[in-house]
Amino acid sequence: MSEPMPPFELSRPQTVGQAVKALNALPEGRLIAGGTDLIANMRRGLVESKNLIDISAIAELHEMEFGKDGLRIGAGVTLREICNDMRIRADYPAIAQASDGVAGPGHRAAATIGGNLCQDTRCIYYNQSHWWRKSNGFCLKFKGDICHVAPTGRRCRAAFSGDLAPALIVHGTNIQIAGPGGTRRVAIAELYNEDGSDYLRLAPDEIIIAVHLPAFNPMAPVVSAYEKVRMRGAIDYPLAGVAVSCRRSNTGEAELQIAVTGTNSAPFLLKNVSPFNAGDGLDNYLADLSKLIQKQVSPQRTTTAAAHYRRLTAAAVAQRLARKLLLESSSG
Amino acid sequence: MKRLIRLEINGRKHEDAVADNLLLVDYLREAKKLTGTKKGCDGGECGACTVLIDGVARPSCITLAATCDGHKIETIEGQAKNGRLSALQRSFHENLGTQCGFCTPGMIMAAEALLRQNPEPNEDAIRSALGGNLCRCTGYVKIIKSVRAAAGAKT
Amino acid sequence: MSKRTKGEPGTRHAIAGKPVPLVDGIEKVTGKALYTADLETEDALIGRILRSPVSHGLISRLDVSKALALEGVRAVVTGADCDHTYGVIPIAMNEYPLARDKVRYRGEAVAAVAAIDAATAELALELIELEIEELQAYYTAEEARAPDAVLLHDDKPGNLEREVHHEFGDLQAGFSNAAFVLSERFDCAEVNHAQMEPHAALAYYDDERSRLTVHSVTQVPFYVHLMLARCLNMDASRIRVVTPFVGGGFGSRTETLNFELIVALLARAANGKVMMRLTREETLITHRGRPHTTVKLKIGMTNEGRIAAVECETVQRGGAYAGYGLVTILYAGALLHGIYDIAAIKYDGYRVYANLPPCGAMRGHGTVDVRHAFECMIDRMARELGLDPFQVRRMNMVAAPSRTLNDLMVNSCGLGECIDAVEKASGWKERKAKLPPGRGLGMACSHYVSGAAKPVHWTGEPHAVVSMKLDFDGGITVFTGASDIGQGSTTMVALAAAEILNVDIARIRLITNDSAVTPKDNGSYSSRVTFMVGNAAIEASKNLRKILVAAAAKKLDANPEDIICEAETFSVRGSEQSMMSFADVAIAALADDGTINVKGTFTCPPEAQGGKHRGGAVGSTMGFSYAAQVVEVSIDPDTCLVTVEKVWAALDCGFAINPLAVEGQIEGSVWMGMGQAISEETVYANGLPVHGSLLEYRMPTIVESPDIDVTIVESIDPLGPFGAKEAGEGALSGFPPALVNAIADAIGIDMNTLPVRPDRLMEALVARRRKDKITARNSEEVS
Repeated sequence: MSEPMPPFELSRPQTVGQAVKALNALPEGRLIAGGTDLIANMRRGLVESKNLIDISAIAELHEMEFGKDGLRIGAGVTLREICNDMRIRADYPAIAQASDGVAGPGHRAAATIGGNLCQDTRCIYYNQSHWWRKSNGFCLKFKGDICHVAPTGRRCRAAFSGDLAPALIVHGTNIQIAGPGGTRRVAIAELYNEDGSDYLRLAPDEIIIAVHLPAFNPMAPVVSAYEKVRMRGAIDYPLAGVAVSCRRSNTGEAELQIAVTGTNSAPFLLKNVSPFNAGDGLDNYLADLSKLIQKQVSPQRTTTAAAHYRRLTAAAVAQRLARKLLLESSSG
Repeated sequence: MKRLIRLEINGRKHEDAVADNLLLVDYLREAKKLTGTKKGCDGGECGACTVLIDGVARPSCITLAATCDGHKIETIEGQAKNGRLSALQRSFHENLGTQCGFCTPGMIMAAEALLRQNPEPNEDAIRSALGGNLCRCTGYVKIIKSVRAAAGAKT
Repeated sequence: MSKRTKGEPGTRHAIAGKPVPLVDGIEKVTGKALYTADLETEDALIGRILRSPVSHGLISRLDVSKALALEGVRAVVTGADCDHTYGVIPIAMNEYPLARDKVRYRGEAVAAVAAIDAATAELALELIELEIEELQAYYTAEEARAPDAVLLHDDKPGNLEREVHHEFGDLQAGFSNAAFVLSERFDCAEVNHAQMEPHAALAYYDDERSRLTVHSVTQVPFYVHLMLARCLNMDASRIRVVTPFVGGGFGSRTETLNFELIVALLARAANGKVMMRLTREETLITHRGRPHTTVKLKIGMTNEGRIAAVECETVQRGGAYAGYGLVTILYAGALLHGIYDIAAIKYDGYRVYANLPPCGAMRGHGTVDVRHAFECMIDRMARELGLDPFQVRRMNMVAAPSRTLNDLMVNSCGLGECIDAVEKASGWKERKAKLPPGRGLGMACSHYVSGAAKPVHWTGEPHAVVSMKLDFDGGITVFTGASDIGQGSTTMVALAAAEILNVDIARIRLITNDSAVTPKDNGSYSSRVTFMVGNAAIEASKNLRKILVAAAAKKLDANPEDIICEAETFSVRGSEQSMMSFADVAIAALADDGTINVKGTFTCPPEAQGGKHRGGAVGSTMGFSYAAQVVEVSIDPDTCLVTVEKVWAALDCGFAINPLAVEGQIEGSVWMGMGQAISEETVYANGLPVHGSLLEYRMPTIVESPDIDVTIVESIDPLGPFGAKEAGEGALSGFPPALVNAIADAIGIDMNTLPVRPDRLMEALVARRRKDKITARNSEEVS
């Protein structure tokens, strides 16, 4: 028994066009794909929409295609399909690892890549029952006017906690979005705002329909890895999640891309990462990297684990992954 | 709003009018009286409600019944065939993979999905496949043993 | 699993002692087992509770008229509907099913509705108008004990539920004999049972005949029965309490819980049937878990490792109501005794009120946090003195038979065998020094009671009664009121009966837990069932056997002493031709009087019931289980995540009537100790439970749960059923200290806070690095 599901009407469009039209007609409508995030939140009274548009029956969203331009993954492809795909595991390992780390296998069988990118931001003052939040005077993200995490601030500090976004970011992914005026493509980082209650830059009638990954180039391979910090080996959301990719040039210089989730209201690509040259000394390079991360992440008291811990472990895990990839790519 | 869904549950066809907001777990427990599927949390946290949808283990407490239209559902009640326990049911019983029994139906369904896909899983594969199913009694030791024994019995 | 018998092997048994699956296991694996929430509710109303939004305050207005007027609402009840308190300790019942005048924690039940469906009930809750004049609230024991603190209960000055001051032996002499005295403070977080089944209750009130039937998840239907009669002001004979399958307990359902009374109040108010299924959040708020505990411990040790004296101060933050509090605080002191032979022990305990959900009994009731502190310190002292931690424990362990300083009876002790077993199994001697960096081994010992020898509702009745029926079909029906909460107690009763009667276990049917049918039982708590109900089952079986043997003797024309019964066949010693089947003997036995009903009882003798000092009954028991364990950890240097690689546990359960179930109990309790040690804790934000879900209340998943190697030690207790003692709690309290000792071994950091969450461990590591830096700088300056 839990709080009863609020009433709503469900529509089940068969095409993207129909889904966009439905959203356009119902500005308060919400998309549902796997439902693992949305329904859990609805059961806690966090979603008030009277109209759900189920996009799980749209065939084209389930397509995955390896072409010469790269890999296109339909937004409705499940995380289970992604972590079971041998090519993704070989060519885009961070993405497979990130998918594999989400919740439990039952969730991964339902949850979609599009849904994971849109996953609601999380906070211990938000992901609670109606009684709880009401007793606490609600919060900035939902029905209230104060952020309990940072009461003097003017924005919601809820943390973006999707695992896939950083893995996609370090692989230079573009997102394909459909709207009433057709489709558009944006770099994945452009999808997000650093604001817990307004974290997605999507119009109300837009749908993510696919992600596009650049083709794997065996001549200039990109190696990657993802790791999340969490207390338990399953179920938990990331306290910090770090994806790193590494591309070695002919000169031996290695270019690293590092992206972080779980610490801020948006997943983000680390700025000012300098390329690594063997002559620099790995330890010094990693020490600088650690400082860079600690400066750019901004964990708040949105989890029961200490914010400082999330800052330190984001840096430590990034160092660990970077070291591993740099050693791997130089020996390979 | 209500809609008509046609689906198969444990090998039998069903046709029911369900509310759009009806959860699969409530449909199974309340409309179909299949109370073997348990509710242990407030949504998607414990795995006690795990059922198979088209052979894949899914938490029924965060699944809408309406979206199961046209699909095959399997629950714990459908596991024993002709009055005989399934390999996993027998193994959980004989190896004490069940104590209080509340997590057991979900645990067995998640393990069933695993064994169909991977008939001889190693310990890591078992742990990974049951990662979303919490148990408070066994410390999981005998659950792992039960799954391994059932896998051995099957092959 | 391996098994060791201490000393002489006991009597050989045909059935008892062999592993068997649970007699109710088939229902569980097929989904046919009906738990309370699964019961038919076609004609039931749905009950929901309105909970206080504030931590502490006076109810200034409570208006339910709008809710009552809502279509589909059949009843609304408030504190005005019940002016009787309830509780578990007769002298400490200070809680109302629904708050009257005052609320003392966020989530306390204030009103409840019964409506035709959940949505209507939910809507009705929103229509109840509640105004509360807020009072200062306290969330720590320290704040609540401040001299100017507002009182939660007017009759409890200092917000103290109970203070305990016990001193045994000559403390001063003890400490002066000690070569090394160490004092430390430990903080152990509050934890919850988090049994998988959320709370639920179904009540049916028959207005025509003024009768009430309640189905509930309780571990102790007898308590629920008593409290229903008290709070509903009903004659207890008009009440029936039934317990269906129970999805775990661990102590959470020992006390009667408010929803069990509220659902009955609603059913009576609505003249009907009401189902109440609590959410996981509500289940966690109902709580009754292990309190946040601060332990200040001072131990004196001789150079050889003998524990010379112990001084312990324990402060428990008990939550807003008395509950089990006084027993918990007494247990914490009493169980300083009973495992080691110590000449002087002083104990000061303080049970403090705070504006949080009430604490209660949880697996290892009272002892866990104190044992944790104790075993951590013993290890540190051994390390300091250059002694072997195993040897120190061996040197100090109690002898049996003996009586402890606080007058507890010790009849059997297999602790030495437990220590030997885990030392050997873990390869401690060979492996300890060779472990790679970041990896460590730790050990600890623990013990627990086999039930309270003096129950809290002491009436002079036997501690347990089991009855049996034998009828024309040759079937034996055993009736017990003990709740099987997954521990396998029903199977234990079946095995005891089958063993004594020499019959196939399939001949036995069990009827459990229906007050209209089964004999009263004191309930499934503090590991009393195997010892007490087991002994009662043996006695009942012996009584039935006597009747059967007499009937067989009469038919076979022999003396009863010459009748042998083996494998359902009765024969005369020395004459193999004369034999009868069980069914024929049953018919013969029924010939004179028809259906046979027998019963067996068990009563704890007075010498088991503890000392004469105030609170001396708490800790008293028929027998202690003993356990030792070794934990191996590895620590991720980047995340400070502690991985438990493996556990070796050994437990002396006297005798394993069902070794399969005993092994399961040991694994489960060790693992539950692990949860408390590494990840589980309640967290409140100004009294609101942040941990109110299974996402935030982090019990370990299968992924990070270790393999547990179990050795069963059998010390054959002279009074236990077949020599058995408890098996389900004793190993729990050894895990947290063994883990903390292993962490110290791995990275040289002594953690004094539970759980050892990775963020806490990292904080400790960072602090050490800082300290090392300062030390290094200072020594540079000096040089």
